[in-house]
Amino acid sequence: MNGYKSFREELGKLLVDVGEKAENVVVVTADVGKSTRAIMFGEKFKDRYFNVGIAEQHMIGFAAGLAVAGAIPVVTGFATFIMRGWEQIRNSVARMNLNVKIVATHAGYSDHADGASHQALEDIALMRALPNIVVVVPADVADLRRCFEKLVLKHKGPVYIRLGRDYAPSITEDIEYDYEIGRAYVIREGHDVAIMSAGVVLYEALKAAEDLAKLGISASVINVLNVKPIDVEAIVSIAKKTGRIVVVEEHMVFGGIGSAIAEVLAQKYPVLMRIIGASTFGRSAKSHEELLSYYGLDGKSIAKTVLEVIRNRA
Amino acid sequence: MVKGDAKPILKPFESIEIERITTVIEEARKDLLVMYNHEKHIHLESSLSSLEIIATLLLRYIKRSADPINRDWLILSKGHAAPALYAVLAELGIIPKSELVKINSINSVLQNHPEVAVPGVDIATGSLAQGLSIGVGIAAWIKRVGGGGRVYVIIGDGEQDEGQVWEAITHAAALRLDNLIVVVDWNGHQLDGSVKDIKPKDYIPFVWKAIGWKVLWANGHNITSLIIAVEEALESDKPTVIFAQTTRRGRVSASNNDVS
Repeated sequence: MNGYKSFREELGKLLVDVGEKAENVVVVTADVGKSTRAIMFGEKFKDRYFNVGIAEQHMIGFAAGLAVAGAIPVVTGFATFIMRGWEQIRNSVARMNLNVKIVATHAGYSDHADGASHQALEDIALMRALPNIVVVVPADVADLRRCFEKLVLKHKGPVYIRLGRDYAPSITEDIEYDYEIGRAYVIREGHDVAIMSAGVVLYEALKAAEDLAKLGISASVINVLNVKPIDVEAIVSIAKKTGRIVVVEEHMVFGGIGSAIAEVLAQKYPVLMRIIGASTFGRSAKSHEELLSYYGLDGKSIAKTVLEVIRNRA
Repeated sequence: MVKGDAKPILKPFESIEIERITTVIEEARKDLLVMYNHEKHIHLESSLSSLEIIATLLLRYIKRSADPINRDWLILSKGHAAPALYAVLAELGIIPKSELVKINSINSVLQNHPEVAVPGVDIATGSLAQGLSIGVGIAAWIKRVGGGGRVYVIIGDGEQDEGQVWEAITHAAALRLDNLIVVVDWNGHQLDGSVKDIKPKDYIPFVWKAIGWKVLWANGHNITSLIIAVEEALESDKPTVIFAQTTRRGRVSASNNDVS
């Protein structure tokens, strides 16, 4: 759990990697090639790089057309503005189950300085409502590296990968697992409570588990990077083992990862549950971490909520 | 208003092809009226308005194959005219004619807006302007990899209220997609009424021209006029739009038309 790397720097490198492996990989962006680092692909493969201008709705449809004609388009943009093309993702991509890969950067509070207009806290809810699409929220750059090639080159069909901007504390770097669509991964064993999370807040969940251990509480931590399809079997089995679930997400508590897990548990194995996330728009701040603390998504706040759950005062 | 090219476009034997297209259109028009008798929820008037455009493109121009970059694509971005597409496909034997009257039935493949599950439908549409962006994407990839296919997109006039049309046509012009031909069914109507009353669009052809498209006009109910325009579009070194003047009742009551 040390070392900070950048999601977008890693994305730039991974795009070049898949571009070298398959000559029908193309990258499409809406005038945020530099901000998303998609430009690293563009500099290497000029003929396979399309900047459509500031036009997110068209960008999605254009990518659908590229996929129909045989390319593997990777669409890159800020998560907030990709939401502007949601109905295009629905009608032009998901409805025809096209092989379009959407990589949404700057999600959650990661674009800390730009404030509420740029902080995507609703995108998971929107994307996971769509049939056919796979929704993945990698925890750190190691997680992204693990899943990226599989999702872009091996899996046939639409994918939504949700990333932050730069802040990406290392969580899974030293953990060995092969990425598979639809699976959740236990990254810390425990039996009193399970903290389920995805994205950079998984790091805060781990910090909370360490704090709780000092109080004699054994908290399991689960990386639920596959939000859709979700790992029903793992979630039910962990609920049976711990009887208490706390979900931590850098997203609205409406319709996000907590909701996805609640949908599973309410129907299969109801247990005491709490969802920690956002309930309103964000704001500007000096750092991503500052915003996580401000909105109660830091390790200490999470540990406090877990304690309440353990004492059944949730 | 209709400005055709004066040079002789059709070779003598091609009058036979025009007769064939005319026959298909006549039969498809009857099919549409029968479909409407069975199912009042089909968009009959929009279908009649696009019928000759769809038939002319499908019968004379669209070449299909399994190779996505060396075949032609027909995208009905104004997806509510799907019944006209189905009727022509049925006349060509691509879908069974007996299926037409079952449109919108719970067990029928024929949906009120095009789905790729229907044989002969290249792209699912129904949400306006989206077919146009998809067409730009297909044409861009074909051009980038040196394929020989062309992309034909049919859009409406009301459809051009959508901002995505602006996003798509400015991009197509920037990419100089000379393999992209858009036909506008210029029937003067949108869902709530006449375009004149809702949002006048007389400036629209000028916008396309200013952006960098070749702009042509045709009579959208006259096969020869459409062919003359498409032949000219095929020679263009930039994307071409054909404003095809139509009426919503097609030639069922062409004498009572109110084309803007």
